[in-house]
Amino acid sequence: MTEPNRAEILETVAALIREVVGEEWAEEVAIGLSTSFSADLELESIEFVALAEKMQDRYGEQVDFVAWLSEMELDRIIGLTVGEVVDRVVQCLS
Amino acid sequence: MPELSRDGRTLHVQAQGSGDPVLLLHGYLVGSMATWYFTAAPLLARTRRAITYDLRGHGRSSRPALHYRVADHLEDLHAVREWAEAETADLVGHSFGGLIALHEALERPASVRRLVLVETPLPPTSMTGIDEFLSLSPQEMLQSLPGALEAEVRAGGRRAKRFYESITRLVGHTSLIDDLRAETDVPDERLASLSLPTLLIYAHESPCLSTGERLAEVLPDARLLTLEGGHYLPVESPVELARTIADFLDG
Repeated sequence: MTEPNRAEILETVAALIREVVGEEWAEEVAIGLSTSFSADLELESIEFVALAEKMQDRYGEQVDFVAWLSEMELDRIIGLTVGEVVDRVVQCLS
Repeated sequence: MPELSRDGRTLHVQAQGSGDPVLLLHGYLVGSMATWYFTAAPLLARTRRAITYDLRGHGRSSRPALHYRVADHLEDLHAVREWAEAETADLVGHSFGGLIALHEALERPASVRRLVLVETPLPPTSMTGIDEFLSLSPQEMLQSLPGALEAEVRAGGRRAKRFYESITRLVGHTSLIDDLRAETDVPDERLASLSLPTLLIYAHESPCLSTGERLAEVLPDARLLTLEGGHYLPVESPVELARTIADFLDG
């Protein structure tokens, strides 16, 4: 099995975020590993739900994104960076 | 986004886990399925199918201009139950969500195994300070919310803006508030007919503790538990609340 490609995963996650937000500014904003969901993107909790749903659809059982989030306090979830999400996906797919 | 469509409207729904179904209903205005989605739902999903959805007007469900009576919410709940194939289920509700759950249990007791009511006021207008709260501007409403919620909505930022917009739309452009004020009480004799096991979880600083105490007395098989915090227990004490609910449903 090939090593999961971090850059590809980042691109996928960034695309899912842009879909969830669905606003013009999201198309233009830079989304990188250090981008914070809360401080930089200001996602609402309901948008987190929508992102979790899309992650679940895209990566399914292998990643079990919701179970991962459920082990964290809500402020930790909100404080996540895109990089931490990418790391998690890489870890699960390896 | 998993959704149900009916009569030109959509309901945003989500199910986690597998097993016996439990439906979790959120409260008004500041609530959405996010109230339960990251805390109680995944915990319960370890042993059950935990179903959350956005009430009409909230989250990503559609927002009709009219029809926010309990009876209208019950129609949506029935649609969600059908989608989830939850003919018999446990029901958990926070605040107005608890009111919907209570009415469902009263109307269809054979279809509800256990009931958990968190900070539920009956009738809704009996909640201390409700009149004052409902007459606040969205800005003032935000400021009156407990720290945990207010921190979520940093002033001047995108979340604050979206919060104001959604509150303004709900309060200003739907019948939600009028319908809320019109909800009537349920007489004690009717409450006394609800014999299914019920857990009443209220907060030490609850604005509707009198409802908790009344229900504890009138419902034949109910227990009252109070936790540290205020009306927004699912946000203020998410982990303790989730565990308390899971213990009761498993017990």
